[in-house]
Amino acid sequence: MSFPIEIYVTQAMHGLVYGMLLFLIASGLTLVLGMMGVLNLAHTSFYMLGAYFAYSITIYLGSFWLSLLISPLIVGTLSLLIERFLLRKTYKGGHTAQLLLTFGLLFIFGEFARIIWGTAPLTISAPQVLAGNIPFMGRTYPVYRLFILGFSSLVLLGMALMLARTRLGIIIRASVADAEMVEVLGNNVPRVFLLVFGGGGALAALAGVIAAPFLSVYLNMGIDALLDCFVVIVVGGFGSLFGALIASLMIGQLQSFGVMWIPQLALIFQFLFMAVVLIIRPTGFFGEKE
Amino acid sequence: MSRPQTYRLVWTVAVAALILIYPFLVAEIKVHLAVEVLVYVLFAISFNLLFGYSGILPFGHAALFGIGAYGTALILNHFPKIPLPLTLLLAISFSFIAAALIGFFCVRLKGAYSALLSLAFQMFIYAVALKWRSMTGGDDGIGVTLPDLHLPVLGIVSMKNIYNLYYLTLIIVAIGILACYVFLKTPLGNSVICIREKDMRAAFLGYDVFLTRLAVFSVSGLLAGLAGALFVLFQKFVATSCVGLDMSLTVALMTVIGGSGNFFGPVLGATFYVVFQSWVSSLTKHWWIFMGMLFIVIVLYLEGGLISLFKSEKIRLWVSRLGK
Repeated sequence: MSFPIEIYVTQAMHGLVYGMLLFLIASGLTLVLGMMGVLNLAHTSFYMLGAYFAYSITIYLGSFWLSLLISPLIVGTLSLLIERFLLRKTYKGGHTAQLLLTFGLLFIFGEFARIIWGTAPLTISAPQVLAGNIPFMGRTYPVYRLFILGFSSLVLLGMALMLARTRLGIIIRASVADAEMVEVLGNNVPRVFLLVFGGGGALAALAGVIAAPFLSVYLNMGIDALLDCFVVIVVGGFGSLFGALIASLMIGQLQSFGVMWIPQLALIFQFLFMAVVLIIRPTGFFGEKE
Repeated sequence: MSRPQTYRLVWTVAVAALILIYPFLVAEIKVHLAVEVLVYVLFAISFNLLFGYSGILPFGHAALFGIGAYGTALILNHFPKIPLPLTLLLAISFSFIAAALIGFFCVRLKGAYSALLSLAFQMFIYAVALKWRSMTGGDDGIGVTLPDLHLPVLGIVSMKNIYNLYYLTLIIVAIGILACYVFLKTPLGNSVICIREKDMRAAFLGYDVFLTRLAVFSVSGLLAGLAGALFVLFQKFVATSCVGLDMSLTVALMTVIGGSGNFFGPVLGATFYVVFQSWVSSLTKHWWIFMGMLFIVIVLYLEGGLISLFKSEKIRLWVSRLGK
């Protein structure tokens, strides 16, 4: 099959947008996994809740921009509470306990959203400034997708600076490598972890807010994203933020071009990709050897 | 016989007798529920063979359940002449082969990587089931008509009768559980546990870690496939939900709820899960909230699963006091 070049560029842009969105969600998940070995199944529920809160805030307060601020705050606080009062009790119980606990939370949040917002998909319209299209290589491209790209790049930049340049960032990176040693050196790892967990939740919610006008808000959005996130953290390597970025962008492209060329297999591209990576390089691109 | 042995014997006989006469004690709808319980019990046992005894977390175990289920349904529809026992045998050999293939890749990896690779295979099979419409019916699934079972003494036994189906399922599940139990008592089964405890040490002692884990993965896959085959006989229908993520997670939850550290933990867990789910969903349509809460409560307050209730000293003391 052959397509004109503009289509390729447009598809690549679509892939890039989805990849960046995926990275925002997966970054918290991979850091939490890397630091404490907790595979948080409820992580993408934060993304879903972020989108739903954005819907309500946009309806009641009338401003999408406000929801961009408030929704991550609400969800971030919620995830702080979850870590502090539920998850923290399970560290001695091992991975199974955490899996079961976060799976339970996944159900509770899903059902909670169903009760409050109903089962029908909801739509939020993007703010006036970001609506519409701009000319792009002889065709048009939606402004809102460009906004997602720009905004998530900004967040990425901020996160990278935080991790590379601040004391907290150094402690986080060191904890991913060896949490016990960092604790022995006199750092309060549980508190840092609490912050990472809350921050990860807020980031996922942020992703939910900016995804809402673009993908619409629906109940299964969390589960859909969860599967992609799994692939991202496995391919990138557990705990590796850079790996997660690369993997997210690759999955974005894979999805975007996969749908174009072989639509029948769109469901499983990322899983085939994950399987191949795991078979060839079991720790992912940037994961450390056990 | 010592007193604990006598107690155990009495309990075993009582429970076995109860299971045997169960269909005559309750309404027919409860017999349906019991068949469902039996199927999930076998599935959970096969899951725990990997999870509890081998230390492998097969996050995509529904793949093998689904292959057994689709295999049975396809044979029943396309080759209705094949007698039922042979159909089941064929279906479980499919899942055995599939498990050997999937296991070949999964058992080399550790922990979460292995779990997620098995999930990847499950999603792959899910996608095949969803997209290969001409073969699997896609979303609509495949309905089957159950054949009669020709037995030497009893003559023709119709599987459309739920009571007959109950006893057939019971027998097959019992054989499956027994096989699993015996497998764990063999030297191979012992080396599985040995490898779980410390694989490097086992390797130094001369055990072939890869081959042993592959063997247990395949056996577990076979049992999961058997559960899948029985599921089709029970539902008279197979759909993508059999190979879906929900199914994989359900069996994991059943096992953990019951307690993965004990051979009979999954039995208890599967029974409790199915009965609890059917009870709560009859009360409220928001039953997922209660399921979620149940998981959280078990994680926080009942670490060893439900089976640990029977083992805890407090309860034992309490029961013995009641007896006096």
